[in-house]
Amino acid sequence: MKQGKIMRALVLALAVSPAFAQTTTTAPPSGRLLASNCFQCHGTNGSGGLERLAGESVSEIYNELKEMQRKSPPKMMDMHARGYTDAQIRLIADYLSKQR
Amino acid sequence: MVKRRDFIKWAGASGIGFAAGAFDMLAMAEETSAAFVPVIPTNTGIKGNVVVIGGGMAGATAAKYLRYWGGTGVTVTLIERDATYASNIMSNLVLNGSRTMSSLQYGYGKLASSYGVKIVKGDVVAIDPVGRSVTLGSGTRYAYDRLVIAPGVDFDVLPGLETATAQAKVPHAWKAGPQTTTLRNMITAMPTNGSGVFVMTIPAKPYRCPPGPYERACVVADWLKRNRPGSKVIVLDANPEIIAEKHSFEEGFALHGIEYRPNTTVLSVDASTMTLDTNNGKVPGAVLNVIPPHRAGKVITANGLADADGKWTSVDVLSYEAKLAPGIHVIGDASATTQPKAGHIANQEAKVCADAILRMFSGRALDQAPVTNSACYSPITFETASWLTVTFAYDPVSKTMLPVPASAGEASARSKDNFEEMNKWFTALMGDTFA
Repeated sequence: MKQGKIMRALVLALAVSPAFAQTTTTAPPSGRLLASNCFQCHGTNGSGGLERLAGESVSEIYNELKEMQRKSPPKMMDMHARGYTDAQIRLIADYLSKQR
Repeated sequence: MVKRRDFIKWAGASGIGFAAGAFDMLAMAEETSAAFVPVIPTNTGIKGNVVVIGGGMAGATAAKYLRYWGGTGVTVTLIERDATYASNIMSNLVLNGSRTMSSLQYGYGKLASSYGVKIVKGDVVAIDPVGRSVTLGSGTRYAYDRLVIAPGVDFDVLPGLETATAQAKVPHAWKAGPQTTTLRNMITAMPTNGSGVFVMTIPAKPYRCPPGPYERACVVADWLKRNRPGSKVIVLDANPEIIAEKHSFEEGFALHGIEYRPNTTVLSVDASTMTLDTNNGKVPGAVLNVIPPHRAGKVITANGLADADGKWTSVDVLSYEAKLAPGIHVIGDASATTQPKAGHIANQEAKVCADAILRMFSGRALDQAPVTNSACYSPITFETASWLTVTFAYDPVSKTMLPVPASAGEASARSKDNFEEMNKWFTALMGDTFA
């Protein structure tokens, strides 16, 4: 009953809430959200943790991830690397290489 | 040529003992995180006002990244009832005495000082989804453009566990805190002649941290074997089989002589005779560690935000916006998704949510291909661990996060190296969440 009441109220709210205006905001850098998967073990922005990644070259990060995808038997990071497509790895490498 | 990553691995494994190793790594990690000085951008042009309810792994991460990525134009208020967060991750190591509860406390000081998150201590008593505001027990009202709710889990009350007295005798210790210490004390109080039986129960999935209960059984059995030899550990699992890291835990259960009974559900608890009644008969124990079935934290269920089953909130996993409650995002354990309920993936769900909210504030399309990952290490003994990992990618057909099969796997064997890596992982994850 309570839920129904909230739902009805929300439908009403939807109808009256203003659309978000297009503003002159900075676009989020491509690769940032993908690369944030790295931050959990390598520190925010790749700043440290198990190993610092920020500022490594694109080719260093890209090649290392590609190598990990083939490594057998896989350790945890080798397994994790297998979760990304080639295009995603390029985006991640590009983003991390630009961090300081 | 020695690669840097390998060098660090060798250096970390160079014959240092467990205790020294753990302390060295903590010191190293603190230095690393101290070196990271975030700059909150002033020029993103993004403006908005977000209230976050709950300062656990999901809520703290969302608050941090809304400011770190969104900049000074985004106001973030984090409402949390406790002064510190007690980490569930690693709390099983309090049970064998290798960690203390005080070492698992995380404060909100860095979120405030480094990121400019407004920290408000309090309990939310009402949500107004139409007027877009939340009200605290104190009566103070906070308006929002977007609300993020991350309350974690609450527990069903099993028959026989209605009173505080019964709950104190039969703790779940599945929310790290005083019950964790209570359970530790019960384990150390088990008879030295080895006649004691430790019984723990696992609810049907989904519950918080799929490998966690099996890990706990291993850690406790390992401690008992060395300190109360002859004692027994019995695991009653409502699930038909071990649901995470099956290989590692089957080996662990064999190593420790743990008795595992699948398809066994607790019907009621008799705290006075210390006996469980199950669908497979009565089971007495010197220590009863009953983990009841879960549901989303009370702020979800009390405000009509749960699905028809009354347990969890269905969300759009491109933004974690509740399917039936526009403007309200639910992240972490409380949301119903195809992803596990656990701290590591909650941190990543929070980043997807923060990114989506910032895009909404600037009128941009949502990222249509988010990736999240679940990863964890599980101690099997006091000095060895296994691991588990899987990434999830958005599937536009089912509109769910699907596991990437090639990325799903567990450790081939428990090892001391894994245990050392676990400490580094934990320090880094908590740093990414709270610092």
